[in-house]
Amino acid sequence: MIKGLMDWIDDRSGIRGLVKEALYEKVPGGARWRYVWGSCLTFVFFTQVVTGTLLWMFYAPSAQTAWESVYFLQYHVAGGWFLRGVHHYMAQAMIVLLVLHLMQVVIDGAYKAPREINFWFGVMMMGVTLALSLTGYLLPWDQKGYWATAVATNLMAEVPLIGPALQKIVVGGSEYGHHTLTRFFALHAGVLPATLVALVVAHIYLFRKHGIHVKEPRPKRDSYFWPDQVLKDAIACLAVLLAVVALTIYFRGAPLGPPADPSNEFPARPEWYFLFLFQLLKYVPAFWGAVIIPAFLGLWMFLTPFIGKSTGGHQFNVGFWWVLIAGSAALTGMAISEDQANLKHGAAIEEANWQAERVITIADSEGIPPAGAVTLLRQDPQNQGRRLFAAHCASCHRYNGHDGRGFPVDEPQSAADLAGFASVDWITELLDHDHYISAKYFGGTKFKDGTMARKVLAKYTEEEKMLLPEIARLLADGAELPYEEKLDEDTRDELFSLYYNDDLKFEDGRACIECHDIDSEDEGFAPDLTGYGSREWLIAFIENPEDKRFYGKKNDRMPCYGRDGKLKDEEIAILVDWIRSQPAAF
Amino acid sequence: MSDSPNNEEPKKDRRKFIVTSTIAASTACALFPLASGIPSVLDPATKDSDNAEVPWTKVTNLATLPEDGTPTKFEVILERVKDAWTTYTNIPAGAVYLARNGDKVTAYNLKCPHLGCAIDYRKNSNDYFCPCHNSTFGLDGSVTTDNSPSPRGMDTMDTKVEDGVVWIRFQQFVPNIAEKVPV
Repeated sequence: MIKGLMDWIDDRSGIRGLVKEALYEKVPGGARWRYVWGSCLTFVFFTQVVTGTLLWMFYAPSAQTAWESVYFLQYHVAGGWFLRGVHHYMAQAMIVLLVLHLMQVVIDGAYKAPREINFWFGVMMMGVTLALSLTGYLLPWDQKGYWATAVATNLMAEVPLIGPALQKIVVGGSEYGHHTLTRFFALHAGVLPATLVALVVAHIYLFRKHGIHVKEPRPKRDSYFWPDQVLKDAIACLAVLLAVVALTIYFRGAPLGPPADPSNEFPARPEWYFLFLFQLLKYVPAFWGAVIIPAFLGLWMFLTPFIGKSTGGHQFNVGFWWVLIAGSAALTGMAISEDQANLKHGAAIEEANWQAERVITIADSEGIPPAGAVTLLRQDPQNQGRRLFAAHCASCHRYNGHDGRGFPVDEPQSAADLAGFASVDWITELLDHDHYISAKYFGGTKFKDGTMARKVLAKYTEEEKMLLPEIARLLADGAELPYEEKLDEDTRDELFSLYYNDDLKFEDGRACIECHDIDSEDEGFAPDLTGYGSREWLIAFIENPEDKRFYGKKNDRMPCYGRDGKLKDEEIAILVDWIRSQPAAF
Repeated sequence: MSDSPNNEEPKKDRRKFIVTSTIAASTACALFPLASGIPSVLDPATKDSDNAEVPWTKVTNLATLPEDGTPTKFEVILERVKDAWTTYTNIPAGAVYLARNGDKVTAYNLKCPHLGCAIDYRKNSNDYFCPCHNSTFGLDGSVTTDNSPSPRGMDTMDTKVEDGVVWIRFQQFVPNIAEKVPV
């Protein structure tokens, strides 16, 4: 029955002959492991076409949906992380296999006559594969892909005459946006794979025409492609597959950084296999990196078969390629170690990882607005607050000793560290004379030598000092920080009585109420502490610290952000919400 | 080493082993790419439709509906609609005909229960008519002609009137079956 059906099909298609011809290719010298790379690459490319087509069902290429659709696949579609991971790590495997295949061809001399054209096809396929990697890197539209690809397309402008036009054509305009994604996607999923398929067909056709190039001496008797070589090929493919699956499971799929944001700088780094080029650009002008060196390498590859014909030419070729690989490896190592030694780079990566986690948490709980996930981060006090702090406050203030985002600050600290501002602990420490005049609080300001420091805090007796933490509790209660508990009514009344010095526990001239009002109409000559540290108080303070409610004329260099239009109202609110939130671990 | 008849058997076995392993390994490699994406592709079919309680949505004021029961068409604007990753707020999600009967209101989904075309209200004949496949419905939403292609009457949904405001629980139903089943 089955045989009958097969006969029927074969009569009409000649399929048996085709299969026979494909499988019974002669392998002179017998099957060998060194021949597996081409088959492995074919397998990897096949996997990329299939998984890529499946990914296509989930991907929406536009500036507001690219990251979002990838996020949805990664976190809300069954097995989505696995599908992405396989595609991602297969792409990396493809680069490794390409180098192995190329080196095998070079070492065995398989590039020499009559196989020159096929060698060139191979080199072209390598170029197309690298272009596939580059275009694919941008598609998730995360920070990493966005900033790195911007560098790559800027290099394009270095091409003489047509460079700037070429860049615009590829980017789909002068700025990155919808059309960058639609074009990169069309290249990545259409133009480049189709080109690669055509080249693969030509490559395999020529390979079959010339047969396997045998490395002498022949180890064994001749055999056939089927089944000996196919078995070796299949085992090698299986090994690649298992490695990719292991990487995918270990890293839980491909990484997805925070959504692309042109206003949020990120240290652009390409994928690891382009790091040597990245490093090279630190030493040579962009024109060299973008045009001269690639052109030279292209020409060199074109000439390789001819050089190989001359005496000692083959040895020279092998040596040249080894030097090239060793050089690239050295540059890659330098790029990695320079980044590792760079504290700012580490902080930027850490911040981006934090942002990625943060935006996913928000998107999971609130969903993503039509304007895209990047707006979630821009409106999130936890993210935007620290960025505003770093941009506007950190040249004087600090947050846990850094600029709020985890970066060290070059300028010396000249105002208080605001991590935990207005909390019980923070105020308790503030009220200790030594801390008050330290850099962490007012050490960098003129208040270090002010009345509060010299005439009040420095003069407290031991008994009075014991009362200060109680005062701190009362003040912190007025701040109503979201992470601290409210006092009960009785305790509050008790502490107020202490503040107003009802029982004369503080000596004259050292009771808080004498200078700082709380809940009264009087205007003391020191800042009013009614609702000190509360949302309303802090917003009003940042808007105008020179208001008589706060420092008045005694203000020491603190800009009036609201009054002078340095920050918008909603920015001040975001900043305040962040300062008043539970201090971050970093 | 010459091939003696005694060597034929193990050689055959070896070849059989190689062929079987080759086929097994190749098949695994060939099927893997598709298999790695199957769970994701089939994901929508494995997820039940949102079983969350259908929220009440404000449509209009009772006073705007004609007292004689003439149907009036209204857009239904939902407070929160989720489409995959996007959450829309206050977005038109469909339309209904509202017909008043005293203080009660009946809501008919605009979508034809046959294949989902938009149903018209015909003033002249005072009935509902689907212009796609000519289903006709009476004012009470029931199928009026024997040869109507629609397997059931127009889909109604829960309504309530509170303080002169008409609320509905907007829902879609599976088309082209006799029973009214929420999507």
